[in-house]
Amino acid sequence: MAAGTAESDVGAGAERPRRRAPRFVLASPAWLLFIFFFAVPVLFIFWYSFGYKPDIYRTIATDQLSFDRYVESFSDTFRTVFSGTLQISIVGTILCLLIAFPFAYWLAVKVPPRWRGILLGLTIIPFWTNFLVRTLGWLILLQPNGALSGIMQDLGLIGSPLDVLDTREAVQLGVIYNYLPLMIFPLFVALDRLDPALREASKDLGANRWDTFRQVTLPLALPGVIAGLLLVFIPLTGDYITAAVLGGAKGNMVGALVASQFNTAQNWALGSAMAVILILMILGSVAIFAVIGLIGRAIVRRRRRVEIEPVTA
Amino acid sequence: MSAVTERRHVRRDPVNALLGVWGIVVFVFLFLPILMIVIYSFNDGRALVVWKELGIRPYVDALDNPTIRNAIFTSIRAALGAALIATVCGSLAGIALARRSGRWTIGFLALLFLVLVTPEIVDAISLLIWYVRIGGPFGPDNDILNYGLFRLWVAHSIFATAVVTLIVRARLAGLDEALEEASADLYAPPAQTFRKITLPLMMPAVLAGALLAFSLSLDNTIISSFVSTANASPWPVYVFSSLRSILRPEIAAMSTLVLLLTLFALALVAIVLRRGGQSGEEAAAMIVGVEAAPK
Repeated sequence: MAAGTAESDVGAGAERPRRRAPRFVLASPAWLLFIFFFAVPVLFIFWYSFGYKPDIYRTIATDQLSFDRYVESFSDTFRTVFSGTLQISIVGTILCLLIAFPFAYWLAVKVPPRWRGILLGLTIIPFWTNFLVRTLGWLILLQPNGALSGIMQDLGLIGSPLDVLDTREAVQLGVIYNYLPLMIFPLFVALDRLDPALREASKDLGANRWDTFRQVTLPLALPGVIAGLLLVFIPLTGDYITAAVLGGAKGNMVGALVASQFNTAQNWALGSAMAVILILMILGSVAIFAVIGLIGRAIVRRRRRVEIEPVTA
Repeated sequence: MSAVTERRHVRRDPVNALLGVWGIVVFVFLFLPILMIVIYSFNDGRALVVWKELGIRPYVDALDNPTIRNAIFTSIRAALGAALIATVCGSLAGIALARRSGRWTIGFLALLFLVLVTPEIVDAISLLIWYVRIGGPFGPDNDILNYGLFRLWVAHSIFATAVVTLIVRARLAGLDEALEEASADLYAPPAQTFRKITLPLMMPAVLAGALLAFSLSLDNTIISSFVSTANASPWPVYVFSSLRSILRPEIAAMSTLVLLLTLFALALVAIVLRRGGQSGEEAAAMIVGVEAAPK
């Protein structure tokens, strides 16, 4: 196993010819794992989505394939849940970015370096606390007769006991909370990598703070922003645990529909079709974001070029 | 313009102050629910969310409850196995990607990307179908191992393998291959070069990856709730199922104990990483699985 690893491509080979393992050999355990326990099972989902449920005792039959389960999936209930899920995940991802960016900027740039390690360590703690348990923390916090409700009433912020549990707002809050760390880390890394000298140079060249942010910091932090958006959006769209804890009956997400087809309805064909729609929904959204991003970049570049050309001419 | 530049030198800069306030607000937001769990773990009542009186009975009850104890042990065993599989497969794949890239890399990275973007619920149902279909060691016929545990090991290691691969690859890509070439030029056999040069250099990434894989497994609720069996049911599945009946304070008590253990483990790893010459910041970044800024 180690025989293939340490050799360099140019160094030793010429001096001591030896049999070399094919290049991908070290990756083969991972290959096997991914193909046998990811790719093939997911292909089964695609296949099953064209099947049907033959009777109440059996979960799946695939002797007749059709698109019927997809048609069935687009019932009114599913469409409502579908658009609701998309709304929660898009709003949640954007709010995560808006909350995390100033925070990550503060942590990476403003906080004195000797404090930075400790504060970064502190932000890791929620990330390392069990997802479900953190959500239960909100369940306690948002109780109508709980402490937060009492304090808010005492301050006169709300007239009656807090009534937010089992609503979409509670789900929205919960997902923002649960996925916020996944936005903070990539942003922090991107901003931390940024050489302070670049901002200094921008300032020395007469840019004000806003210009420096818009033209130096933000473009250089863009890879972190994109990573954060993907890291939050993808799992958030598939999540239904947060909704199950905080949303009650109103917190239905596409993931919960899929799960219920497998857990209660025992209709694997319909559940598979819904899962495929969920995958397409996520990939489609990511593709749309990517296209918007690329168009935006092209526009910005074109505008920049116009600004620069007279100077170089 | 000059007003702006001058204000930068004034100690109380409004933008900086606002950023500082925002930082504190976000910290409060991040910690409030966790604090709630810790406080309510001392709730000596019947229901978790209804405060009755201060007491340590939840802790006594939690440690006394065999179902809770089993769930915790299952979680730990599942996480250890999954972390082991993910660390071995991921580290090897990371080395291969960083040092032996070729035409195969494109296909592999595409698969890796798909693993990373597939929602958990899809993995969950596809693995359930698959396990039921292939049976063997993943079905009740497996009499060597607890097949529920075996299912969890494999299920939890897939996403984690992809993560470990990326971390190890990033670490090795940031290291100069000339170090390994020099070792080979000095007539070190490949195994020795690997053991004395490559392995120590990639160790922080392997350790970080292993930790992350362990934590991902401990956290996993969706996949676990589909593939786990009655006698190998991990902690999050227990918590999730008690949502449907009654949430008792024992859950908060056990969660607080788990949190303390996690913090202890994290501190230990941070110390190890710092001894290995990482700054505090790098160590922290390593723990969340991101490569800190190259210095």
